[in-house]
Amino acid sequence: MDDQRKLSLQVNGKRYERMAEPRMLLADFLRHKLGLKGTHIGCAHGVCGACTVQIDGRAARSCLHFAIDVQDCEITTVEGLAGDDALHPIQQAFHECHALQCGFCTPGFLMTIEEFLRDNPEPSEAQIRTALANNICRCTGYANIVQAVADAARRLREQPAAAADAGGCHAGQ
Amino acid sequence: MQANETGGYIGKRLLRREDEALLRGRGSYVDDLAEPQNLLHLAFVMSPHAHALIKSIDTSAARSLPGVFAVYTGEDLAPLMKPIHTEILFPGYQAADRNALAYGKVRFVGEQVAVVLAEDRYIAQDAIDLIEVEYEVLPAAVDMEEARKPGAPLVHDHIERNIIFEGKFETPEFEREFAAGEHRIRERFRTGRVAGVPMEPRGCLALPEHSDAIVFHTSTQIQHLVREGLAHHLGRSEASIRVVVPDVGGGFGTKAQLYPEEVVAAALCFKLRRPIKWVQDRREELLTNIHARDHLYDLEVSFSSDGVIRGMQLELLTNAGAYSTYPFGCTLETTGGSRMILGPYRIRNYMYRSFSIATHTNPAGVYRGVAQPSCMMAMEGMLDRIGRYLGIDPAEVRRRNVVQASDMPWTTAVGVRFDTGSYQQCLDKALEAIGYDEFRRAQPRDRLVDGKYRGVGICNMTEFTGMGAPAWRSRGLKRMSGIDSAALRVEATGKVTVSISHAAAGQGHLTTFAQIVADYLGANIEDVRIIEGDTAVSPYGTNTFASRSAVTGGGAVIRASTKVADKIRRIAAHVLEASPQDIVVRDGYAHVAGVTDLRLSFREVAEIAYAMCDVSLPEGEDFGLEASEYYDPPVVTVANAAHVVAVTVDARDGRVTIDRHVVVHDCGRVINPMIVDGQIHGGAAQGIGEALMEEMVYDENGQLLNASLLDYLLPTAMDIPNFEISHIETPTIDGLGGFKGVGEGGLIGALPAVVNAVADALSGIGVNVNRVPMRPAYLRSLIRSAAAEGGAR
Repeated sequence: MDDQRKLSLQVNGKRYERMAEPRMLLADFLRHKLGLKGTHIGCAHGVCGACTVQIDGRAARSCLHFAIDVQDCEITTVEGLAGDDALHPIQQAFHECHALQCGFCTPGFLMTIEEFLRDNPEPSEAQIRTALANNICRCTGYANIVQAVADAARRLREQPAAAADAGGCHAGQ
Repeated sequence: MQANETGGYIGKRLLRREDEALLRGRGSYVDDLAEPQNLLHLAFVMSPHAHALIKSIDTSAARSLPGVFAVYTGEDLAPLMKPIHTEILFPGYQAADRNALAYGKVRFVGEQVAVVLAEDRYIAQDAIDLIEVEYEVLPAAVDMEEARKPGAPLVHDHIERNIIFEGKFETPEFEREFAAGEHRIRERFRTGRVAGVPMEPRGCLALPEHSDAIVFHTSTQIQHLVREGLAHHLGRSEASIRVVVPDVGGGFGTKAQLYPEEVVAAALCFKLRRPIKWVQDRREELLTNIHARDHLYDLEVSFSSDGVIRGMQLELLTNAGAYSTYPFGCTLETTGGSRMILGPYRIRNYMYRSFSIATHTNPAGVYRGVAQPSCMMAMEGMLDRIGRYLGIDPAEVRRRNVVQASDMPWTTAVGVRFDTGSYQQCLDKALEAIGYDEFRRAQPRDRLVDGKYRGVGICNMTEFTGMGAPAWRSRGLKRMSGIDSAALRVEATGKVTVSISHAAAGQGHLTTFAQIVADYLGANIEDVRIIEGDTAVSPYGTNTFASRSAVTGGGAVIRASTKVADKIRRIAAHVLEASPQDIVVRDGYAHVAGVTDLRLSFREVAEIAYAMCDVSLPEGEDFGLEASEYYDPPVVTVANAAHVVAVTVDARDGRVTIDRHVVVHDCGRVINPMIVDGQIHGGAAQGIGEALMEEMVYDENGQLLNASLLDYLLPTAMDIPNFEISHIETPTIDGLGGFKGVGEGGLIGALPAVVNAVADALSGIGVNVNRVPMRPAYLRSLIRSAAAEGGAR
């Protein structure tokens, strides 16, 4: 199976060149060729959403794309969400609202939510729940994720004041 | 255990230490661990038949594929390992051993028959497809009622009528008391086969170490039990196997088993002295990770005209699947369902017969709640039926039967002691929170509005947690210790390292155990670091399942903390020229009571203990500042809760919507309310999933029809409501710390409450809801049949 090609992908603002087979999934390329292991594979058939990344700013299942097909795209993974210092407001809201337990599904949720909140800065609970139905979480029962999204929406609307935010999960309380 | 020294960390909503790495995508699950250069990827060939003889296996094409290192069949590997054997010292139990890699015969779809080792996972998968296995298909026993009939195909030749375990029990006056009840109701309750389905599938990475040992990284909840199981089945010493648990992406009991893939991976690592990695895909996860809850309860109660139960008898069938799983066998659901069904109710006269039936399906194991969701569904469903039969409100039926404060401590008919609890209080508080009385008053009018039936359902439940050694002895589980441990060390800098015999899969142990240590040691919480999930650094333990950790690990941590705090007190007293009783240890300092500036920091005390300063230790005191302690908790620590749920059922399509879900929970002393509520949320969501949609569906040939997440439905954010949770805290008095477990209660309470709410909604049209999952098709067919009957009248 020696059908290696040189693939060139733009991930989190940086261009990478690696040898890989054309059949290599984007998820596997990110994880095993680039060492970006925050993108998790939960089902590999496009249902659970754990492997969600953004392709040109749109949430997408990295288990349903071949790496070779997205060479002209801008890929964003969970590692690209925040800098080294402060967490991204959505991550901070997840932390404060206890919106993660085992954390395996979390990166996929974050990537789904980041796009959702860009399009819907003031979402209703029903809109949040509909958006979250893209991803499966088996630990949290979703209630705290819903709160975290509402809380993150508030933080993002209040940016740049968000940096000075004293914190606390405010949504729905 | 001086309560006056606690620094108030227990009970606080502290945010989790685990979060930041996980949120940044820097978690380290088993598939994320660094891969050595010479790694071999392991993949399994699975049987497509439920019951078949293996006639031949042709591996030649796979072997010649470039990148393939080796292919092995069950016969090849048999000399390396003993069949997986689960010893249970229980009358009526027969072990059904399993070859980690089958040979001769397969007994369920998904059973592993051959393995490939390859340089790359894609190649390993290619090679799997090139292996030709010739089978002779045999008739299969799939349904457990059919399987125990004479003449049914046998799963194991030595197990007659496929009865892998049979249990029975009867209270002394049972027959007379049961006969004395004025009324009787009999009902059959059935729960669908489901599974834990953690978002992270299982996997392991075995690394050779030195010339004769391995380090075994595996996605498990039970590192010590895995080490012991591997050592036993591979004929190695435990000392040659170090089991390390990385971040685990959900467990729920699914990962509280020793699995055949782990035995194979470890065996190959020992044999080849090369790193071996295996990570299952979702299809394997659904086909081969333990299933649970294919249960059938034939329950009969005898009761008086006031609704008070006089006696109860049960015949319980549970589907064991094809083999007894390690370490629990297939008895835990069977004994659990028949013994825990009594719940918080005063049932003094009780008789059961219970059976675990082998079938040609994936083996059953322990999934969150074990049999408690199903047995409480039967119990709580029966209380509703008594109410409907006598025209008494179901809440009132519960009040007349529930164990009262004046009954405490209560011992159940099967001999389990409840030391403290709040059975009536939780129920009343939950009913009030949901506005139960108004709901009932309005119900005759509101029962069917806008094409929707409305109902409310109750579950007042107990949760058996933190089982200690006597509990496991009484259930015959030989390899299950029941104790847990903590090794606590104040380092020379005054910082604190605590290694506990647990392994979290999302429960936040690094945070909650630090809270306990900080309080009982008197440390600053920032200075406390918890380590878990590594057999090389923690003393022996029974690990993390069945809502154990807070109870068993909590007790061990309290003991170790107290012991070290006492030593700190003695050293400080010696330096400060006071009596040890007068030294208060708090927030990282030891000071003389009432004189807070006459103090030593942990660092100063540690420097004395480690001989790093001119001050010598008190006479007779040894070096070091550490303790390693075990804790064997009481037989069972019983938590309780009341769930009250309001639903609407669409009359047209049978879809259920949960409008409100109220929980009043009592897990004794709460360590971290945020984490406790999270446990309840997650459990309740799984209970709702099990009630409304989840089911592993086998056809009559033993094919699993829905081995993908497209077809095995898990609840999404659209299906789960916001939970309204409050707490009553009645600390346990039998165990240290006052903690009761909380891992399973959410699921145990949610499932029966949702079932009863749907049954209540449809009770006006005279249908009988007695099984889960209550999918739209099932409810719609009930509604239509009721309409047809109504039309015919």
